[in-house]
Amino acid sequence: MDPFLISVLSNIGLFSFLALSAWLLLIGGEISFGQQAYFAFGAYGGGIATAVWGWPFPLALLWGAGLGAGVGALVAWPAARLSGVHYAIATLAFAELTRASLNIFRYQRDVDGYLTGPDGANGFGDIRWVYETGIAPGTYLALIAGLLFAVITAIALASRFNLLAQLRMVGEDPILAGMQGLHVLRWKVGAAAAAGAIAGLGGGLYAHLATYVEPAQFSVMTGVHAVAYGLIGGLGTALGPILGVLIDIGLLESLRALAAYRMIVFGGLVALILILRPRGILDESLVAKVRAWARR
Amino acid sequence: MLDLVQNTVDGIAAGAAYALLAIGFTLIFGVMRRLNIAFGPSIMVGVFLGAWVHAQWSAGLVGAAVATFIGALIASAYIERLSFAAIRGDAALASMASSFALWMQLEQGVALAFPGRTTAFPGLPALPDLETAGLFLRGDDIMILAVAGIVLIALHRLIYHSHFGLEMRALADNPEAARVAQVNTKRVAFLTFCLAATVGAVAGVLIAAADGQISPKFGLWATLKGLIAMMIGGLGSLRGALLGGLVLGVVEAQAQWYLGAAAREIIVYGLLFVCLILLPAGLAGVRDTGAARKL
Repeated sequence: MDPFLISVLSNIGLFSFLALSAWLLLIGGEISFGQQAYFAFGAYGGGIATAVWGWPFPLALLWGAGLGAGVGALVAWPAARLSGVHYAIATLAFAELTRASLNIFRYQRDVDGYLTGPDGANGFGDIRWVYETGIAPGTYLALIAGLLFAVITAIALASRFNLLAQLRMVGEDPILAGMQGLHVLRWKVGAAAAAGAIAGLGGGLYAHLATYVEPAQFSVMTGVHAVAYGLIGGLGTALGPILGVLIDIGLLESLRALAAYRMIVFGGLVALILILRPRGILDESLVAKVRAWARR
Repeated sequence: MLDLVQNTVDGIAAGAAYALLAIGFTLIFGVMRRLNIAFGPSIMVGVFLGAWVHAQWSAGLVGAAVATFIGALIASAYIERLSFAAIRGDAALASMASSFALWMQLEQGVALAFPGRTTAFPGLPALPDLETAGLFLRGDDIMILAVAGIVLIALHRLIYHSHFGLEMRALADNPEAARVAQVNTKRVAFLTFCLAATVGAVAGVLIAAADGQISPKFGLWATLKGLIAMMIGGLGSLRGALLGGLVLGVVEAQAQWYLGAAAREIIVYGLLFVCLILLPAGLAGVRDTGAARKL
């Protein structure tokens, strides 16, 4: 396959993790501007695990995802008691706090004669596991796609057991959901943990593909993009956020003629879509219609 | 000790500008119940138009300021039409995402029109520095404090002693009741957007003129400062926005002086996070701001 195509597809896959994690919270009725923080936890945690501690790659990915889940739950536990605006700004504050802290985070150890590990604002290079093992870009893309598929399957399974419907209830009307016997706070913290895990997993994959990460990559802009993907693509299905990523990166990155006006085109497109469909292209009513049609 | 006081004085001057940004946010949130995260970028469009007018015709500060107001008003009207008026009132998420989309547009538009990293902005008229008992008050700071004070007094009169202010407060308090009481809610909402843009433009001119230059990062910067100040002070409260802005300015100045720039960021965002968790009602202690309603 063409290397350019592979890199675009890999990017789409990695951003899909971030978009899915923001989408899961949107389903639960919360906006998070801070999913990039858990992406960063996954990237730094996973990177340190392989590059500094010499852990095997799968364990490092798991560690990154676990880190994302744990921190995500810890942040949501106090924040989910507050209003929606407070939650959005609290997650933003936490994410910027993470970025600012990574700017002074130094953890370098001697690995094979080289100082390896995060070096504050200079970033964290030499996460070379993928290259040392000789994994081709195409194979790594297959790995990203496979894990993304696994996440989507897990979400589909969750909706099979009505878990997603209950989360939607919590998001739509917390008071009513509480009266139906759902523990609202537990659901919100659980959703944040799952979202953190998805973002952390994506972050670990990202760090090993890029081999170099720096704090500036995990800015507010990244997080707000992740939220926008779900809102454009639609809140009705887990394919919504991925459609959002496809529209942004896939369509616009490939149309090189539009490169200079990318944000102007993308921004205008999003504004129009949101006027016509406030809950995204693949919104709940469209998904319900498709389901009904498929059942016939 | 002298340093501490001096930093506080410097911080209050910076905080006055933050407070104006926070008030702009609060005005919009108050009547819309939705966040306009493109507020900072709309001011950025203004200051860049101001810088351009200054570069074209060497218009000086007055010309640049007028152009800033016009630019901010046009950008705000664009955002209001597309992201707020055109989207149903109950789709708060969509409005926020849409305002973000327009932010992208504005930022790239400005970056295309002004390719340099920074653009020059005319400086403030030189006032003499004041010095008493070892304390310095820079001329620029005096100017910022004076202008911010005048704007605050004018705003107070407008909001609490005019018919338009009454309509605005009615809309913020209860949109349904305001509609029943014959308030033209669409018109009031639009005008509030323009008012917020005007207040924001004053802050934009003060900040840009004190710095002498502007960069396309101004939009993100202004949105973050305004949001932080608003949330620390208490969402939906104008007094809170003023208080939050001043506290943010002073904390930043102290942290910068004693701990350096990297620690300043950590302290500001840490303070914001802790404030949100422990004091969700803000320093002004607002109980019913409507923020408890679904976003």
